[in-house]
Amino acid sequence: MISLQGLTKRFGRRAAVCAVSLEVPRGVIYGLLGHNGAGKSTTIGMLLGQIIPDEGRALIDGQDVAVARQRALAKVGAIYETPAFYDYLSGRSNLRVLSEYTGPVEPRRIDEVVRLVGLQDRIDDRVATYSHGMRQRLAFAQALLPQPEMLLLDEPGEGLDPEGIHELRELILGLNRESGLTILLSSHLLSEIQQLCSHVAILREGHLLFAGDWRDVKVREDRVRIQATPRRDAEQGLVQAGLVADFDDDGCGCLAPSASAATVARWLVEHGFQIHAIAPADRTLESFYLETTRGDAGPATGRS
Amino acid sequence: MWAIQFRNELLKLVARKRTYIGFGVFLFVEAVVLGLFALSGTTEAFGLLLTKNGLELADGYTGLTLAGGIVYITVAMLGALYMTLVSGDMVAKEVEDGTMRMILSRPVSRLRVIAIKAAVCVVHTFALVFFIGLTSLLAGALYRGGLGNLVVFAPHEGVFAILPPGEGLRRYLLSLFFIGLTCQTISALGLMFSCFRMRPATATILALSVFSVDFILRTIPYFNAFRGYFLTHHIDCWIHIFEPFVPWGRMAESLLLLAGLTISFWVIGAAGFCSRDLKA
Repeated sequence: MISLQGLTKRFGRRAAVCAVSLEVPRGVIYGLLGHNGAGKSTTIGMLLGQIIPDEGRALIDGQDVAVARQRALAKVGAIYETPAFYDYLSGRSNLRVLSEYTGPVEPRRIDEVVRLVGLQDRIDDRVATYSHGMRQRLAFAQALLPQPEMLLLDEPGEGLDPEGIHELRELILGLNRESGLTILLSSHLLSEIQQLCSHVAILREGHLLFAGDWRDVKVREDRVRIQATPRRDAEQGLVQAGLVADFDDDGCGCLAPSASAATVARWLVEHGFQIHAIAPADRTLESFYLETTRGDAGPATGRS
Repeated sequence: MWAIQFRNELLKLVARKRTYIGFGVFLFVEAVVLGLFALSGTTEAFGLLLTKNGLELADGYTGLTLAGGIVYITVAMLGALYMTLVSGDMVAKEVEDGTMRMILSRPVSRLRVIAIKAAVCVVHTFALVFFIGLTSLLAGALYRGGLGNLVVFAPHEGVFAILPPGEGLRRYLLSLFFIGLTCQTISALGLMFSCFRMRPATATILALSVFSVDFILRTIPYFNAFRGYFLTHHIDCWIHIFEPFVPWGRMAESLLLLAGLTISFWVIGAAGFCSRDLKA
């Protein structure tokens, strides 16, 4: 459904996106991850035709955005960067004005979408009186109004409270499940992406490091979770003894090549530590993301 | 869809408070100019001018003449400012506020967005000019208790005319149309700058700078031989509508030149807008 082919964009001397190639299949929720300045928004901007690529092509449903932008975006709803509205108009007028750039819109459809995002009580108020979270909901409503088959969402959860994030997550999952919407979203909230996305693309300094189903990448067998008390002393001791390379905040570390779970357990017992658990580490998206972006492991070769 | 999008663009313009600042300021300036016309010194000077031309003060110091004077002075003083204030805002303000990103997340071409905005600028310019013209007419008529003859005296353009009430009103209304038409070039200049990467105020200031420099150079006697090259010389062609025999050929020449410039400004603005990146 989305195909990026060697997409490159430079701002002055700085390359914001470098030869990114990516395929987003129909019907998936695809996460776009990366630090600030990694190129996520620029990539979405190029997909929307708002940023003109220096090289490469962005295709939606086979239509090149640079050549046939209107056809390519015909079935796309989007939130690109921080949503902005006409503060002096009501939420309803904003929805009408923006959606009528696509085509005529039925008042009934506006009511339907407004209910879906939970703005029905304030939709006729001026947007100037809206909170950040309400603006975010309004942005989501405008993206859904043209009944899109695909959503491009740039940091959709930014500024939402925990309840708002939960509702947004449920909404995205529901849209994907019930309407089969293809959704490409960028976010800093790794836990959210983990709960939403089967596939992710990880960008660093404009380069694509990984793209695909991150759960398919084999978990490193030497990565273990060690729970022993006193925790800090045990972790320091194991690192100094050369049995474990390093520990993260969750108490997970990589065994040294010569070490095994048994040698770690023996060392802990011999040095008077109390062992609660030694088990293979569960992979979280956060650990996968950090491994990939720090380049200290080898999963960065996956492609979907 | 053009009609709906045009209507929405107008809605955006009329819903903003700052759109009305111009209209409000013009009303205030009209009142000030009318007040100045009412001062005895002004009346005496005007009476002297009329006497020299074989007329009584009552024949020329009429509601219609006052309306013409108010329009001429207020448009010359503030017309360009408020036209470029709106047209300079048209694109740059939406880009600055981020609403342009929202618009262009839709399957609408940039060219279409600019075309609709240019159309709204055209409507706004005409609306502003007719607002000034009709309110001045009302003010003049109320102050002098009727319309009467129309006396026009524009020495720089070599126009001196005394027109009877009916013909005077017809020419006055026609002049409003031609002022609106010629001012489209100023408005288009503001829109052109607005399409490039700059703040709305910068677009307005640039357009005003071009207009002001052109106007000042044109008024310097040394450059009289080159008057035909100045933009404001052609913009002021509407004044010739008051001549007893309207020089249509000369007016058409100026209007065609202005039309060419206006279209060029639109095209350059659209080309700049279509080739730029939109990113916060």
